Amino acid sequence: MMNLSALVHSLRCSLLRIESRLLQISGLDSQLAPALAVNGPSLLPQIEQDPQQDEEQDPEQTPGLLDSILWMAAPKKRRTIEVNRTRRRAERKLIKVKTNIEPCPECGHLKQKHILCGFCYAKICKETGLIRQQIKEMEGGPLTAPPVETVVLYEGETPSEQDGGKRIVERPRKRPAWFRN
Amino acid sequence: MLKLQVLGGASQQLSCLHTSISLDAKHWERNNRKVYPPQLPEEPRRPAEVYHSRRQIKYSKDKMWYLAKMIRGMSIDEAIAQLEFNDKKGAKIMREVLLEAQEMAVKNHNVEYKSNLYVAESFSGKGQYLKRIRYHGRGMFGIMDKVYCHYFVKLVEGVPPKPEKRTGFDQAKEYVQGLKNRTIIHSL
Repeated sequence: MMNLSALVHSLRCSLLRIESRLLQISGLDSQLAPALAVNGPSLLPQIEQDPQQDEEQDPEQTPGLLDSILWMAAPKKRRTIEVNRTRRRAERKLIKVKTNIEPCPECGHLKQKHILCGFCYAKICKETGLIRQQIKEMEGGPLTAPPVETVVLYEGETPSEQDGGKRIVERPRKRPAWFRN
Repeated sequence: MLKLQVLGGASQQLSCLHTSISLDAKHWERNNRKVYPPQLPEEPRRPAEVYHSRRQIKYSKDKMWYLAKMIRGMSIDEAIAQLEFNDKKGAKIMREVLLEAQEMAVKNHNVEYKSNLYVAESFSGKGQYLKRIRYHGRGMFGIMDKVYCHYFVKLVEGVPPKPEKRTGFDQAKEYVQGLKNRTIIHSL
């Protein structure tokens, strides 16, 4: 359907050009540029005047194809500001108030019930970033990770029996309260 | 001597007109400078009011209006919580404005508890737009507006007032009462 409408549109445009040239030659031409958009170098013909000229001057040679063009949907009247306001301010378009906000029991910042607390998460991200940096320094390059588990130890901690064959990452600070063994 | 006095009087009269060119001379902020006469002891205590705004926010006034409408009438803590978890761009800016206003209220406007505030008025206005060209096909062009908006908020001390709920039945009753009150004037 898109190809058909494009073909029809190109046919219309070529017809318009022929008509406008005939009019210019005959001297009966009085065209104004459209109000909102400004043209380039040449004045292009208007498409609104097309149906009248088509009916008056060129009798429809292919009624089946051209019939469908005159159907184009266009607004009949300007929508008043009252109508626009009732549409824009309808209940479904207003923002709904959220009822699932509560304070985080750990830090006291606000959080949504089904989402992690942003502050606590940021704090954990920061610490994991530092641990990752440590690991990067230990490894010294890409693709050198040993095929063993890793355990993080803070100041004054010794590896326990379970941490026998694991790689140890040392962090030179006190164990944070939220990072339990 | 007289000339100097006249000049001094004239300058005092002129100073109450908007002579300052600074940004602080905008209308909404000037409300903060209003000074009431001292209250009499038997009068009820006038609640403190704080006016604050932010100008030339790079956002649309229509989109900002939805957020402003949401927080109208809320207590300030509730408003800040709602804006924190809203995904719109204007929500972050509005939250900053509310926090600034709260701080101003506590520091400069003699508000005792920072949570004892509610949003009395909140609305958005059109800022100064920049115009750009938007190229269309066939050599046509349109003028594109780079939109800016202002946001205004007024915080008042106290508990937020409960909005009166009018049911359909109440409205119908009032309508019928209005019809019943009709009478012929200047009759016997």
